[in-house]
Amino acid sequence: MSRLVAEIPAPTGTEPVRAGRRRRGRQERLAYMILLPALGTVFVIVTIPFVIAVFQSISSDDGTLIGLSNYGRALSNPLLYEALRATGFYALIVLPTEILLGLAFALLVHRTVRRPGLRATLYVLAVLPLVVPPVAVGVVARLIYAPGYGVLNYLLQSAGITHSEIQWLGVPILAMGSVATVDIWQWTPFVYLVLFAGLQTVPRESVEAAQVDGATWWTQFIYIELHYLWPLFLLILFFRTADVLRVFDHVFILTGGGPGTTTQLLSLYMYRIEFKFFDAGQAAALAVLVLVSISILYALVTRALPLERA
Amino acid sequence: MRRRRRRSAAVWARVALITVGLAVAGLLYAFPLYWLVVTSLKSKAELYTSITLFPRSLTLESYGNVLIDSGFWMLLRNSVIVCLSTVIVTIAVGLVITYPLTRLPVPPRLRVGVLNWALSLRFLPPIAVVIPYFAIVRTLQIYDQPIALIGIYSLFNLPFAIWMLKGFLAEIPLEVEEVALVDGANRWTAFLRVLLPLAAPGIMAAGIIVFTFAWSEFLFALILTATPNAQTFPVGVQGLVTQFAIIWNQMAAAGVIAMSVPLVLMVVARKYMVAGLTFGVIREK
Repeated sequence: MSRLVAEIPAPTGTEPVRAGRRRRGRQERLAYMILLPALGTVFVIVTIPFVIAVFQSISSDDGTLIGLSNYGRALSNPLLYEALRATGFYALIVLPTEILLGLAFALLVHRTVRRPGLRATLYVLAVLPLVVPPVAVGVVARLIYAPGYGVLNYLLQSAGITHSEIQWLGVPILAMGSVATVDIWQWTPFVYLVLFAGLQTVPRESVEAAQVDGATWWTQFIYIELHYLWPLFLLILFFRTADVLRVFDHVFILTGGGPGTTTQLLSLYMYRIEFKFFDAGQAAALAVLVLVSISILYALVTRALPLERA
Repeated sequence: MRRRRRRSAAVWARVALITVGLAVAGLLYAFPLYWLVVTSLKSKAELYTSITLFPRSLTLESYGNVLIDSGFWMLLRNSVIVCLSTVIVTIAVGLVITYPLTRLPVPPRLRVGVLNWALSLRFLPPIAVVIPYFAIVRTLQIYDQPIALIGIYSLFNLPFAIWMLKGFLAEIPLEVEEVALVDGANRWTAFLRVLLPLAAPGIMAAGIIVFTFAWSEFLFALILTATPNAQTFPVGVQGLVTQFAIIWNQMAAAGVIAMSVPLVLMVVARKYMVAGLTFGVIREK
């Protein structure tokens, strides 16, 4: 297998310059003729739900306008803040763990594994969890943590570490931990893949020069490799934050948000407001609030990303 | 001499540490998958005796129960229909958008704007979109029909498709098409006969990745479907998990089926997987 590298492009957009001016004008017209209908349709399709959400959020169920009272109810619901706190807590567990573990594996494999075949095997093994449906991962987690039939309690008891059954999904802190391990299992390989690819972009010469100068494992990382990995950390943080905000499937299957509301992350909370309490107005207000805050957050972080823009 | 021995001791300690670390990591990585597969292969009788790490006998009985007795083959069929349609729509729209962006002279600002906009869709939490989309689906009376899923899946996979296709199309030199144009072909034939075959591997890969994403999707399917008429396989899996008395081997079998399809596809498209997940930042060289 050929190697994967991180491509961190220069931010300037280069445009192919060819052909005469008249031909160019004709081609540009063609471009617009193809683009505008397609983009227009997609834009409308994307925008309609937002418009509907705004409309739902300022009207009651029978369609009369009631102003901002849905927003008031949404923002004064203490469960919202519990959900935000749970989401933040979840992010604080999984993001640092995944990044540190992924980094450790990337460095380890980069330094110790030289055989291309073995590297390719590790690549496939790392891609594997990424495509397992979160629902299936939730099923696996159920088999491990569930009371009664969970294999983890069986293993702990057989090894003599505990004597009674631990309620992995029944104690708030343990439930959050259990839910987080599922995320870590599935997504640490992603961090590994990205950072490993990043390490391939470090020029051999600067590493060799540093080694001649007596750089250790650690100084080589801090002074050389880390420099090349920064943009990728941002990238990982961007994608993983987007993912944490949409986490639903495996939590829904494993704990359903419980015990109580301790693992009720933002997505589960909004699901509950709309489809369990059937409070469409409050749910729409939440949807608008989330869409607006996400857009602002996105506008703030997107400039820092090492993505090819041209 | 002594110095060398001391160093080799340190090296051995390090090797031992790394080996132990990797062994633990490998175990944590593989055991859940092993346990899922093994549980799915156990007989019902074995489930209710005690937990056995190594099954006493292997049987495919649970798979038959899930697929035939519980009628999950219908959900499997729905999943295939929904995913294939999603792939076709997403790739077609993706090509329509990326072709002019990569092959025709458009202002760089437009290109950047479209790509950024596509990327921003990646950040949308599905739950915030599904709340108003649910109202649309009910108004259009397509609740519990595959078309409702195909629409929203295509929309949510379009950003991936645009970024991946953009990468693949941009790699093909403009000259190959120009040669065909000079030879008298029109743009459509040049696209169909020259560009499409050259980009086919990339388009296939993008299609496979969109397929796996659509296959895994759960939240939309949970909300927008209600009966085996349109329910996809993940919704069925969830039904097995939350029912009152869980039948563990059947639940595990459903999990194995749910993951086997994307795993097989992933092996085919593995080279492009990371490129897809990172919007082309990580590329193969």
